[in-house]
Amino acid sequence: MEQQYKTAPLKCWNKAKEIRMNIYQEIAEAKQRGKILIGGGAESLIAIPTGFDHAILVGEPYGAAIAYTYKENPDFYMKIVEAAEHAGYPRDLCAYMRDYLGSLLLNKYIFGGPFPHMDFCLQAGFCDTHSKWYQIVSEIEKIPYFSLDLVPFDWEIAGESEKTKQLKRDYITNQIHEAIVWMEKTTGKTFDDEKFIQGVLNECESTSLWAKICIANRAIPAPLDEKTILSLYVLAVIGRPRQDVVDFYKECLAEVEERVANKIAACPHERVRIITDSQPPWFALDFFRLFESYGVVSVGAHYSFGLSGGWEYDPAGKTWNAARTPAERGIELKTRDDAARMLADWWLTTGTVCRGVRHSGAGKIQRIMDMVDKWHIDGVVLHLNRGCEGTSLGQMEINQSLLKKGIPVMTFEGNHADPREYDEQRTFARIQSFMETMGLKQIYEFKRH
Amino acid sequence: MITIGYDLGAAYSKVVILKDGKVIGKGLAKTTLEPEESLIAARKAAMAEAKIEEGHINKVGVTGSGRKLVKNPDVEAMDVSADAVGVNYLNKEIKTVIDVGGEEARAVKVSADGKAINSAVNDKCAAGAGAFCEAMARAMQVTLLEFAEYSLKSKQRIPINAQCAIFAESEVVSLVSEETPREDICRAVHDGISERLTSMAKRVGIEEKVGLIGGAVMNKGLVQSLKDSLGMDATVLPDPQFVSALGVALMAAKAEG
Amino acid sequence: MIKDFVDVYQNRHDYAKEWKKKHPGSKVVGYMCSYLPEEIFYAAGILPVRILGSHEPQNVTEPHIFGMYCPFSRDVLAQGLQGRYDYIDAVATAYPCMHLGQAFDSWTLHVTKKYFYVDMPNRVQTPYAFPFLTGRLEETKKELEKWIEREISASDLEKAIEIYNENRSLLRQIYDLRKAKDVPLTGTECMHITTGNLFMDKEDANKLLKETIGKELSSRKAKTADDSRLMIVGSENDDIKFLDMVEKFRAVIVVDDHCTGSRYFWNNVTMGNGPIESIARRYLERPVCPQRDYPERKRLPYLLQLARDWDVKGIIFLQQKFCDPHELDRVAILDFFKKQGIRTLYLELDVTVPLGQFRIRVEALLEQLREEEIW
Repeated sequence: MEQQYKTAPLKCWNKAKEIRMNIYQEIAEAKQRGKILIGGGAESLIAIPTGFDHAILVGEPYGAAIAYTYKENPDFYMKIVEAAEHAGYPRDLCAYMRDYLGSLLLNKYIFGGPFPHMDFCLQAGFCDTHSKWYQIVSEIEKIPYFSLDLVPFDWEIAGESEKTKQLKRDYITNQIHEAIVWMEKTTGKTFDDEKFIQGVLNECESTSLWAKICIANRAIPAPLDEKTILSLYVLAVIGRPRQDVVDFYKECLAEVEERVANKIAACPHERVRIITDSQPPWFALDFFRLFESYGVVSVGAHYSFGLSGGWEYDPAGKTWNAARTPAERGIELKTRDDAARMLADWWLTTGTVCRGVRHSGAGKIQRIMDMVDKWHIDGVVLHLNRGCEGTSLGQMEINQSLLKKGIPVMTFEGNHADPREYDEQRTFARIQSFMETMGLKQIYEFKRH
Repeated sequence: MITIGYDLGAAYSKVVILKDGKVIGKGLAKTTLEPEESLIAARKAAMAEAKIEEGHINKVGVTGSGRKLVKNPDVEAMDVSADAVGVNYLNKEIKTVIDVGGEEARAVKVSADGKAINSAVNDKCAAGAGAFCEAMARAMQVTLLEFAEYSLKSKQRIPINAQCAIFAESEVVSLVSEETPREDICRAVHDGISERLTSMAKRVGIEEKVGLIGGAVMNKGLVQSLKDSLGMDATVLPDPQFVSALGVALMAAKAEG
Repeated sequence: MIKDFVDVYQNRHDYAKEWKKKHPGSKVVGYMCSYLPEEIFYAAGILPVRILGSHEPQNVTEPHIFGMYCPFSRDVLAQGLQGRYDYIDAVATAYPCMHLGQAFDSWTLHVTKKYFYVDMPNRVQTPYAFPFLTGRLEETKKELEKWIEREISASDLEKAIEIYNENRSLLRQIYDLRKAKDVPLTGTECMHITTGNLFMDKEDANKLLKETIGKELSSRKAKTADDSRLMIVGSENDDIKFLDMVEKFRAVIVVDDHCTGSRYFWNNVTMGNGPIESIARRYLERPVCPQRDYPERKRLPYLLQLARDWDVKGIIFLQQKFCDPHELDRVAILDFFKKQGIRTLYLELDVTVPLGQFRIRVEALLEQLREEEIW
């Protein structure tokens, strides 16, 4: 069969892997190297502790990494998840949290050695679960706990008042200050405002760059497929305030733009483009390859685009573009307060996934439709993710809206981090049915690993 | 031209044989731990009815979870496509199909020319499938036929949980211990399943006319309950458990080569 | 009298429709979470009515919310989709939880377009929540003023606060009566009162409550010292059938902690520097919903004190299936009460409950409590 597009491996992929492993290594070695080790969530405004020499074990990607172990070592995974259940944590709770708690209770760090015991937990209430997750961790570990309350903006379509928005900015900014003072008191160390300012600037830049990388994927053929995107977005998740992540995304963007210019595709047979929704089943990413055997490439998801991306709303176009960094807006951060305000505003204005966890109606639907339009999408695949109520919010309404517009859509039930709730055979059957309804025949036989 | 269509489901293997587009034989066998044996048994029965030999078959179509058992078919199709083709052949007015199998139930939206436009499945919950009825019939110590008949005689509606088979079963046990009339329990089970099926069908959007297929819809009690739950009439297609096999046989007949 | 509350509970929509007829031009707003600052709505001349489920299986919500979200949130949405709240002029909520929040979003898409949303903070323990919520409630007041096309004055708010405070105090009085060894009303009867109250104009409710306290409860003995004293703790709960089943044994539910029970009315608004500020403080300081109970666990000592004050011997947790906030507290709360020596029973509920199976478990709990009493 004839290839339609040129393809080539992504040159920077190995570097992404290296940075990721370095970050996990830093966590393992943090105490030895005299750093503060913090436990928290990925959307915890992880720029906040950059004023200290620290490492942060971010819970959700760690949970995903645990789920991934199921592929090679299902017995090991089962020991972990059952440890949380034997301790009494119900099975329908956030799968990331259960995996994490299992690892903690067994005192096993999946990258080797004992679970890295933290100095304190710093968490932001990204969803209902997160604030309580780290309350539990801090009780098990007997360590101090600080939690910020994140009250997101509503979607732009809701027309929230400027006063309400300012209240939210002030609320989060005040809590950032509160967190810093608390950390100084808890650790006895002095917070370095300059480092914090740089951390915030890096966060703005790395997330803006990620949005640009996502936007580059509007090209036909798509230079990146979603499986690759998931290996790249994770760097912002675990390290958005880091310089090496900013530098990496610059390099990645340049390479992606080069691929666009040379029409180098992620999927050589690309003939149909889809997006997915919610986290994928981390331990079973093969389903992307099944789609590709039909010439169907997943070019992204609101989840991976939004969790790591900084997106600025354009009211005239009713769309979202890569957010302009403070430098691009001519804003200078000189003080701790400047940085705290910028961080709060950046999260509120440019973070769309968190917003979707609180508000799942017309605004979230608008964002998905916008993606369908801008990324030239032929079909949508909704992972009805039993492991995460937050990212699954509003999916059935999205399903209905897509059906009304005649956009092909399929749903499959699964779990992003608990393989027991994912039936690969049935999911593959659903995909094959979906392909049939779209009138697509398989181009080559897909062999499962 | 003689075409054979296989629907190899988790509960039963069904075979339909067509001659020039007309059904000349059907066969059914319970799927066992040796699925190939049930395939053979069903085919044997269909061929006997059709009065044909092995070498007479020109085209082969296969669908169902066991479809890989048939090597090199002319057509291998997913259940939803086979359902759509089969239903459209039997009744072109049907726009929404509800297929209630042993282990799985699905709803399919069908286009005017017999294509599956959209589908939904109840893949996580047995409360939406025929197996739950059979389990409840066993628990009540009646045959499935008796279960259906009791249900149609019920005089009152008792709501039981419609989502989870385990919870629903617990509620049935509670009703039995409270000496609730058997008729009402049987109906309550059917109502619970029907609510689940209707919920699922609403995900694809219910457009009349509605067609019912799959072995479980031979249960008249379930069908009545389903009509009540849908709030509209629904047609049980003839030989409902064979419609998918018919559909894939028709697809094979049209296949080139 | 109790039967009047039973009547409102069972015919909640008729009550609201009648109210509308009696108050032509006035609006009714259905709301989904007990954190909604009702006083502000009431001050606007609006009748706030709680939206609760009907405990019936339904087939209308699956196209809108998929099955892993709690049965209560789906039951609530079903009421709207089935047209049962067609008389409301708007729908409102304070941020409840993800599950009910999704029901609210679907409701605004398909049932009632006009809505009010109050960003209730989760971290009620931070001092910054107070200026945030105060400011946010000022905005809510402005949104309401725009809608009703008139100003809501400070005296409107003070009057509303007074009526709501009276309502809460009267309900507290009833709960105080349940401290007695001979309890004048069962938990089931009390649930009818507290839940019926949610659908009523508080002025009407206050009259009825006074009558009930003065004329009915003063000389009543529903349960005696022979009955094992229980507390129920949970999410939203109006599982009357379940409570009734429990109280058919030698048991009485003497107090509760759940959204539509005591958490709804426990503390009053204390007038401070202005009505909006005072309302904000009240909602921040009220008995906390589990997802707002962090970083410090204030809920546990509060529940323990409640159990002690009402001389509770056993606690039944009634958690909606899939309810994350309660599940997240589950390990801590059960460990805590185990250490305190108070027996617990933890049950998961759906819209209908398997009374037979639950009966066995309740009986087992009561047997243990009885044994402990003997020894």
